[in-house]
Amino acid sequence: MTATTTTKAAQAYLDEVSSELIDLPAEERAELLEDLSLHLSEMAEEEDDRSLPSRLGSAADYASELRSAAGLPPRTATARARQASLRRAWRRLWSSAFIRELRNFLPTLAPAWWVLRGYLVVLLPSLRHVSRSHDFPVPSPYNSQPFGVTLVLIAVLASIAIGRRTFPRPAAALMIAFNLLLAAAALNIAATAPARLSTHEVRLERLPDPSLVVSPLANRHGPVTNIFPYGADGKPLTGVLLYDQDGRPLYVGQQLWFPDLCARVSTPPLASDGVPIPQSYPQNYTLLGTVLGDTTQPVASGQCKPVPIVKVTLPLYKTPLQ
Amino acid sequence: MDASQLLKGLLDVAVLAVVQNEDGYGYDVVRRLRAAGLDEVGDASVYGTLRRLYQGGALTSYVVPSEEGPHRKYYAINERGRTMLDEGAKTWRTFADTVDGVLGLPRVAA
Repeated sequence: MTATTTTKAAQAYLDEVSSELIDLPAEERAELLEDLSLHLSEMAEEEDDRSLPSRLGSAADYASELRSAAGLPPRTATARARQASLRRAWRRLWSSAFIRELRNFLPTLAPAWWVLRGYLVVLLPSLRHVSRSHDFPVPSPYNSQPFGVTLVLIAVLASIAIGRRTFPRPAAALMIAFNLLLAAAALNIAATAPARLSTHEVRLERLPDPSLVVSPLANRHGPVTNIFPYGADGKPLTGVLLYDQDGRPLYVGQQLWFPDLCARVSTPPLASDGVPIPQSYPQNYTLLGTVLGDTTQPVASGQCKPVPIVKVTLPLYKTPLQ
Repeated sequence: MDASQLLKGLLDVAVLAVVQNEDGYGYDVVRRLRAAGLDEVGDASVYGTLRRLYQGGALTSYVVPSEEGPHRKYYAINERGRTMLDEGAKTWRTFADTVDGVLGLPRVAA
């Protein structure tokens, strides 16, 4: 009997005895198996061609003898049968065509996972905040996409290097735990992404001032509600009619707020046929007699004051214009 | 009559006896018992008995690393073990004498 087959046979025997002791507390079981393992090593050094079962009895007999001598309860037949059928079912599942295909196929996906893992390691931390959705698909830590791309490249290369190595058991277990955590985090972010994005859109819609939308004329400071024309001589003009480049009358929005908090409405002059002329400037406002925001509450006496004319600095012409 | 049935009840005393003068590891104990003529003792029974005696506080144990081959777990008898051995030997003596008497065999001089 060669050394390797002895070791193999010993390991098989040890495994079988181990499964017979499966119901014992782990520490107890480990002690008993250690004794047996040492015993088997001793026996391997002897010149004896007989097989282990013929020297020690079957693994099941060995285990039951060990239990009875050690004062441990015997294994019940039902427990043994249950375990055997479980083991058979597991073996059947494990060697089924589907699982076998899967076992052959999954390792081919490993390199793809290594690349994805490198990308996720950089991407996920930058996606933690709602406002950082511009980090997808290219992560941009410190608002720098080139920096993000560099980080991803480094992480992918490192991930591949790690993936191609084999690790001792504790490190490998840590790696599996890390992989699972990363995958779970990625799935979690993917699942909550639609909700995050929709809140983001709502925020965007709220940004423009609503008055801009209803006002027909606006400059970069906001809606225009009145126009005060001046003549070249610096005197304010009244009743000026304004038209745009296409000859369309120029309208402005209603002024809704006044410093004295009295409600007013614009009252354009009327043409001879009674039609209002809203493109006449400056716009004329008439008091309604109620306060702003409440059409039922009359104003207090002395509350309303003339709308102050905004002071402007007029340019000085070198020569009076013709 | 199958001696292995008788042996079961006496294995504690037999194991304690073979380590009373010299510490021994598991396989050592098995070999000493066999060398003493107890051919039918099973390896598993010896290991189980060692374990039970150790847990019962009759034996102490220590590991001796080996440069070649596996390390060895030695068992050593302690005071409690010696007391158990003495009591076991007395019980056996009384029992054996009684059985001898029943069977009409000549008594062994104590």
